[in-house]
Amino acid sequence: MELSFWWVLPLAAAALALAVNRAARRARGRDVRPVAHSERLTALPEYRRALRRHRRWLATAVVAGFLLLAATALAAARPAERSTTRPELRNRDIILCLDVSGSMAGTDAAITGVFEQLAKEFDGERIGMVMFDSRAVQLFPLSDDYDYIAGELAAARKAFDDGGDAFFSGTWGGNGSSLVGDGLASCLRSFPGDGNAQDAHRSRSVILATDNYVSGTPVFTLEQAAQLATPRGIRIHALNPGDLDYGDDKDQPGARLRAVAESSGGSYFAPDNPDAVPGIVQKVRESEATEHQGAPQLVVADRPELPLLAALLSGAVLLFAGWRLER
Amino acid sequence: MARLLQQVQSKMFIFAHRRALGLLDGEYGSLFKGRSLDFDDLRAYTPGDEVRDIDWKATARHGSPLVKRYVAVRRQTVLLVVDTGRNMAALAASGECKRDIAVQALGVLGYLAHRHGDVVGLVHGNAEGSRTVPPRSGEDHLERLLQDVRRSAVLDGGPSGIAHQLGHVLRTFSRRMLLVVVADGLLPDAATEMLLRRLQARHEVLWFTVRDAELAGPGDSDAFEVADGSGIPAAIAADPAVRAAYLQAGIEREQRRQEVFRRLGIAEGGAGGSADVLPELFALLERHRTRTSRGTGRTASSGRPTFSEGPQHAG
Repeated sequence: MELSFWWVLPLAAAALALAVNRAARRARGRDVRPVAHSERLTALPEYRRALRRHRRWLATAVVAGFLLLAATALAAARPAERSTTRPELRNRDIILCLDVSGSMAGTDAAITGVFEQLAKEFDGERIGMVMFDSRAVQLFPLSDDYDYIAGELAAARKAFDDGGDAFFSGTWGGNGSSLVGDGLASCLRSFPGDGNAQDAHRSRSVILATDNYVSGTPVFTLEQAAQLATPRGIRIHALNPGDLDYGDDKDQPGARLRAVAESSGGSYFAPDNPDAVPGIVQKVRESEATEHQGAPQLVVADRPELPLLAALLSGAVLLFAGWRLER
Repeated sequence: MARLLQQVQSKMFIFAHRRALGLLDGEYGSLFKGRSLDFDDLRAYTPGDEVRDIDWKATARHGSPLVKRYVAVRRQTVLLVVDTGRNMAALAASGECKRDIAVQALGVLGYLAHRHGDVVGLVHGNAEGSRTVPPRSGEDHLERLLQDVRRSAVLDGGPSGIAHQLGHVLRTFSRRMLLVVVADGLLPDAATEMLLRRLQARHEVLWFTVRDAELAGPGDSDAFEVADGSGIPAAIAADPAVRAAYLQAGIEREQRRQEVFRRLGIAEGGAGGSADVLPELFALLERHRTRTSRGTGRTASSGRPTFSEGPQHAG
């Protein structure tokens, strides 16, 4: 709390002192009637009662008047609160890119469960979901209709939990299974706008859940698909629950996935079990958040509520007391 | 010179248009019970003359009432006893200064005495002390008395205490005279009452009250008590409940005062404004006359000293 115009206070105090001084001088020269034998009146109990009442109201009026002056002077001095904020930018686009081959069901369920929870507190973020096996199916496009998203995510999680085949039927029938490259390419193409016209105001990321065990021949290899990410400014965060790599061989599935994710600026996680997934998602969100914070801003906010409220109350009391005194 | 007295005289002259001035003279002349036996002449009766002064035989011959006039054996002495403390600088009921009303009343009485050929003295002061101006005759002397009173009764003077003046008179003057006490609406306490009783035994006593300002009137400005400077806010004085209680208490207080004066056998009158002074003084003299003529027998039988300068004239 600080005062923008602190010099108002000494000014107000000086004005008050001057006014009191002048009033006192005027009161001294005022016309009062000299009377004798005032005990005719002042000895009466009615008079004493009225005098006590009068004095009480007088004291009330003086206190209220002083409070009113002090409060209005304080309000005129503009009490302000100075604070610095780093506004968090909540303009993120996230596409959940889930490999729905049988081995991934647990991880997928955990991811959809986490986002189902997160959707309730989203504000400005958009998420979409694409699942793929041999073909990629967009479950829902990027959207900020959080009720709709929650419903879709709930249905997806239920399907992951129950193994509902009908739900995934669109992802079959292609040439092979777990065509991760094709799936990733579909996910990357699900962002609006095309090519390198990167929307500077929105960050884009893909959460790719896959074990990167490909059977069949995809149109895109994983690396080819990842090349689509860079010009679009998309970061790929990879979750691989089945990282079974041995050694440092760069051709192993886990290592390839890590290379792809890190080359796009994203991160790579290999959780041991689906319970670790929520923590990972949180970590991803936080890293996204720190990369997309605005410059710190100095915020000076006027806080006149308290002085003005006090002024209002004391003004009301003063008016009432004045009315009582005038009667 | 003689400004104050001129003001008084002009007021009396106006009053005389409504009531014969001789009426006042008649009332004044009958203040003293003493009569000499030196017959002067007859004159027409004017209301206010003692009935016992009427010469019935001459009246029967003449057809209209005639009274006998005597030559006064000696000059009477009138002593004006005035409170000139702070109280008299306060306001009277009319809003005028009480001092001015007191001066007015003193002037009328003094002038009447002067016309009657009497000498007029003055005792005035406050609780801190009394001053005496010895009785003398003459308009200049009278004017000086009035000026003295007017000069002394100021707001920064001493506090009022008429008992001091009464005690002073009791100690200083032993010869019988007419005492006219001019004070405000104080309620005499037991000590003052005792003083008055002793004075009443020795002198003729009249009490003229200058009525105090009303304290609980609507539309008045703030007031302050001259004795101690305490204030009376107008807002409280205008309160209807306070005003009602004040009026009731005022009536009771006035009854108690009247009771005191009735016990003492002192005629009391008073005025709240200068316009009332003459009629009220007239009424006071009238009241005193009827009281003393009623009280003569009683006084004689109780053995109290009567005016002994001459034999009582039995009308």
